Amino acid sequence: MLEINNLHARVDDKEILKGLNLAIRPGEVHAIMGPNGAGKSTLSNVIAGREGYDVTSGEILFENQDLLALEPETRACEGIFLGFQYPVEIPGVSNMTLLKAAMNARRKHRGQDEIPPGDFLAWVRDRAKLVKIDPKMLSRGVNEGFSGGEKKRNEILQMLILEPRLMILDETDSGLDIDALKVVSDGINALRSPERSTVLVTHYQRLLDYVQPDFVHVLARGRIVKSGGPELAKELEEKGYGWLEAA
Amino acid sequence: MPLSSYSTQFERHANALTAAERAPRSVQFARFLDSGFPSRDEEHWHYTDLTALSDRSFEPEGQTAEALPQPLLDDADALVYLNGRLLSERGAADWHSDAAELPPPSRGVDALNAAFATGGLRLRLSQGERLTRPLQVVLISRSDAQPTMSHQRHVIELGDQAEATVLLDFVGDGGERLATHFFELRLGRGARLNLYRIQNEAAGGTLVARIDAKLSRDAKLNAVTVDLGAGLARHDLDINLAEAGAEADVAGLYAAQAGAHIDNLVRVVHSAAHCRSRMNVRGLVDERTKAIFNGKVLVQPGAQKTDSEQRIANLLLSRKAEVNAKPDLEIYADDVKCAHGATVGQLDQVALSYLRSRGIPKDVARGLLLRAFAIEILDRFDWPALRARVEANLHLPSELTTDFEP
Repeated sequence: MLEINNLHARVDDKEILKGLNLAIRPGEVHAIMGPNGAGKSTLSNVIAGREGYDVTSGEILFENQDLLALEPETRACEGIFLGFQYPVEIPGVSNMTLLKAAMNARRKHRGQDEIPPGDFLAWVRDRAKLVKIDPKMLSRGVNEGFSGGEKKRNEILQMLILEPRLMILDETDSGLDIDALKVVSDGINALRSPERSTVLVTHYQRLLDYVQPDFVHVLARGRIVKSGGPELAKELEEKGYGWLEAA
Repeated sequence: MPLSSYSTQFERHANALTAAERAPRSVQFARFLDSGFPSRDEEHWHYTDLTALSDRSFEPEGQTAEALPQPLLDDADALVYLNGRLLSERGAADWHSDAAELPPPSRGVDALNAAFATGGLRLRLSQGERLTRPLQVVLISRSDAQPTMSHQRHVIELGDQAEATVLLDFVGDGGERLATHFFELRLGRGARLNLYRIQNEAAGGTLVARIDAKLSRDAKLNAVTVDLGAGLARHDLDINLAEAGAEADVAGLYAAQAGAHIDNLVRVVHSAAHCRSRMNVRGLVDERTKAIFNGKVLVQPGAQKTDSEQRIANLLLSRKAEVNAKPDLEIYADDVKCAHGATVGQLDQVALSYLRSRGIPKDVARGLLLRAFAIEILDRFDWPALRARVEANLHLPSELTTDFEP
């Protein structure tokens, strides 16, 4: 599904990713862990196509097409979803407006007609239940006045509604209390399927107790320095990253 | 010789008048010759120079095709003027007058207008009278073969407790034109006027409009102004809160096209105690447009308990855009509440990139954010058909109609 080869990327003239390789097959859940400043968020943002991230060499293939050649909105329509670490507040653009515009953009991309309003409302109402968001909150501006936990749940709600093929969750677990973490994990698990892949970028083992990864990677100094199974996350929890960074 | 073409036109114009009609016009025209068009040296004309008009030649009676640039709004009565002449009306014949009511001798564009002015809207409501339907006044300026000019004077007088909704719908298209419009507004005690001023002047046109409003005790003026188009437009809105309890609420939006020059001056004078004024203005300023907004609140001696607020916010959408926004406050009373502020910013790139990351195309995402910026003013429209028309003119994504019940 996703293949990253020798990826080098810069932010403001500073090289953050230095030859990163990663391959993700359909249905897999990959956790990417690592110390602060290792390039975890940069990797997420480069995949999603966020502006300000400069790829200097290497390639990313998504379903065998050159992902880096696509605009961010096209990547989203192709099925990539980035759950942000710090979701932005957009007063004046309601959550419903965003969701409807996003859904219809995707349908248009696939050559489908716009979703009938009744179906849209029913779908949103159904999905909102999964993340325990009162649909009335969705009439407000995007994330406007939402608590930190509500913002993260709203990211998951968008993901549940848009049903991406590749979910990238950038520290979605940070700042969540245990109940919110459970809700967010349930949302992610609800979407797990043999056709859908997941990348969890996280600092903590905690999330991985709820969302079982197939692979765990350690990102340090701009590269994947170690990969393993779920047991690697536990090892990191005990030993920290020092032993890998020194290696 | 500068202004010579205006002299020729005025002679022709004056010859058709009786001696009694001619005298006050000649005084006005002499005042115009004396002062000429305003230049940047003049106070309040710092950003707009009209002296280039001095050497131009405009025909007062342009021959033009008589087609409406846009259909009338269904739910309104209407007066339609083309180059200063009544073209058609719908349920509003009573509110037109051929005769212009001239001001005391003035200067500059005021004097030019007074020298040539034809009549126009004359809406006079007696005590307690209410217009059941809004009144749409379409003011078209158009030239085909020759540059044309038109000058009109309008009156709105609401008796005590009278109520009306009026749309001043300025449209300009085709070629070089000069149009000036002066409005006298008098609101009696407790009267209420909802005034919309929409301007959509095309390139090549110059529009100078001034609205002078005087409000009696407890009268209320709600003014919503929108500037679109690509012409040169200067608007003055002068509001005098003359008696206690009077209230003026001005909401303004400018979102002009490339090449436009939009100069707004809104002045509110608090002449009496216990009056309230609000000025909330939003500007979307794009490439090669120049927008000027000067807001001024003057609190006269004795106007205690004045409550006033001016907010001006601008979005610069291009490096080549220019905006000059200034809120101004002059206070001669000591027990007042006055706030003012102006901002100039850029489109929120983080929000834009967030929307794109959800699959929304860049231009749609941009439109959603522009709409979010303008929404506070659009929400002030209490006339859905007009709001829809303005939103369409703004080229913003339409309002989302699918939503849960609040």
